Amino acid sequence: MSKFAVLQFYALLKREVLEHRNIFIGAPAVLALLLLVATAWVATQIDQIQLAEGLRFVSVLFDGFSPLDMAPFVMLLAIPFCLTLCVCSVIYLINTLYQDRKEMSVLFWQSMPVSNLQTVLSKIVAIVLVAPIFYVLIIFAMYLIAIAWLTILGIISDMDLVGIGYLFLAAIASVVLIYISAVVTGLWLLPFVGWLLLFSAFAKKTPLLWAGGVFILVGFLEDFIFGTQFLADQGKLRTLDPRQYLIFDFQNVIEKVFNYDTLFGIVVGSILIAGAVFMRRFTD
Amino acid sequence: MTNIVEAKSLRKNYGNFTALDGVDLTIPKGAISGLIGPNGAGKTTTLKALVGLCDVDGELSVAGRDPRIARHKLMEDVCFIADVGILPKWLKVSHLIDYVEAVHPRFDRKKAEKFLSTTDIPANKRIKDLSKGMVTQLHLALVMAIEVQLLVLDEPTLGLDIIYRKEFYDRLLNDFYDGNRTIIISTHQIEEIETLLSHLVFINKGKIVLDSSMSDLSDIYTEVLVDADMVEQAEALQPLYVKEFLGKKSYTFESASREQLKNLGELHTPSVADLFVAKLKEEKHE
Amino acid sequence: MEDLILRNRYTLLVVTLIVYMGVLVAEGMITGREARVIEFENFYFELDDFNSIDFEGFRETRTVNENTRVDFDDTDDV
Repeated sequence: MSKFAVLQFYALLKREVLEHRNIFIGAPAVLALLLLVATAWVATQIDQIQLAEGLRFVSVLFDGFSPLDMAPFVMLLAIPFCLTLCVCSVIYLINTLYQDRKEMSVLFWQSMPVSNLQTVLSKIVAIVLVAPIFYVLIIFAMYLIAIAWLTILGIISDMDLVGIGYLFLAAIASVVLIYISAVVTGLWLLPFVGWLLLFSAFAKKTPLLWAGGVFILVGFLEDFIFGTQFLADQGKLRTLDPRQYLIFDFQNVIEKVFNYDTLFGIVVGSILIAGAVFMRRFTD
Repeated sequence: MTNIVEAKSLRKNYGNFTALDGVDLTIPKGAISGLIGPNGAGKTTTLKALVGLCDVDGELSVAGRDPRIARHKLMEDVCFIADVGILPKWLKVSHLIDYVEAVHPRFDRKKAEKFLSTTDIPANKRIKDLSKGMVTQLHLALVMAIEVQLLVLDEPTLGLDIIYRKEFYDRLLNDFYDGNRTIIISTHQIEEIETLLSHLVFINKGKIVLDSSMSDLSDIYTEVLVDADMVEQAEALQPLYVKEFLGKKSYTFESASREQLKNLGELHTPSVADLFVAKLKEEKHE
Repeated sequence: MEDLILRNRYTLLVVTLIVYMGVLVAEGMITGREARVIEFENFYFELDDFNSIDFEGFRETRTVNENTRVDFDDTDDV
């Protein structure tokens, strides 16, 4: 890949971040602020002695745990961010190829020497690889503030602060695991990514209704014609089991990515993404 | 390559509406070509087809490429400004320049900044905060900083006041056009551009009504300000178009002998606007 | 064929969905395989009741699974 092509792709990613600042940065930042404020408020409602005792109990509980052992527990605090990223991703994907047609700026974007394939790929990379970076940075910032507060509380309560160092390392390990989880989940859900992009490129109005309505219709037709429910089964499989979204152990990553169902999902997702790429030529 | 655009039998339907009905079009390299037509004639569809933004049936070659197959490659050699305000409203001016610099291999940032320095457009403003005239100035500044073979303009001055319109065409001629580049403009304001044009295309109801260089026009079409006593003779020569002007009648003839016509009155080359009306009326009678 | 598929957005959508469903149904019928979520042997997926968490048991399990682990006793001797 030439240097110009790399810079070109970087510009496309930068465009996505600038255009969707609210989704990439605003949403997690607001959530972090709300969580910190809520936690601070709760802390003020609890008796300071009880709070210190509670922290001592937790430090005893995790005594001897390595940062990698503690990381998954720290990760659980980021579940609201994961849910937010999921919702924001759906909003982003269903609008991204629709909005610029609606406001006619597609005529400008398409007047540049950027292929439809580059455009669609940049949107996938933006939501699967780039958006999680912003989320984990904000989560990490939130962790740092929490750790700083715990440190102050520890000093005031005359507690042993060795565990804080382990907590800091656990925070680092947890954000790395969160990022990996987000990327792996993006690959796992590639059929949905492709489905949303296809209808974002197709619909002249209400792309979300089209995406949902056609999903139900196609599922019904499959059952009617073939007597099977593979579409519905894939949909349920890839979304309903919450255990599949967070990876708590680095050792599980390869297994999660290089398994038949993930790879099959990438293949069928690519069919839908190819459809979105070709659909992009219809600019009206 | 002597022709930058070669189109044959272009057809496009939107449902039951025929936008292009067998359009044949040839535009020579280095021309400033005007595409003139009433509303719904097919101007925008034609221009969009030339830059690959609209799929059409037929044979089409622009700068040696088929726009339907390799649009993004074509856009390295072609720039397009549409009639609607198409610059993304959420983007800042500086970010827009950064973007074009990164994605277009032939963009000269210094040139663009030089053009913009002569305007009142601040770099840190969002495009939605600019006036329509400023948006057009910005778009033109970007386009003029790109080394392209062909510039396609679809009603670029629509909705702009006279000052912006004049400045637009001045810049186009003085800063962009160099004799080798080709410009295709579609517009309603025929009077504004007829002195700029070297090539003229009339389109009506999806068909090309006239496709000629301006120099050939004066050989083919003649306007005569007929004396009152010569009206009958003028009528007998089956004029293309007749209009009243300050109590006198003006007749436009196609492919008529100048020798024959000079006996009738004062000879002129008809204005593009009059010729346009004449050709449309001829179409109507056919 | 290409002209037919790319005639308009509707034909392209239908063709894309036919190909997608074709692959999905064919794979399901040929392999006869039921897709499933990967089940990792992961302590955290067994968490039902926080009060009954076997932290000691977990610590031992992690000790067994890791190749190297340094244990400190109260005297700080390795």
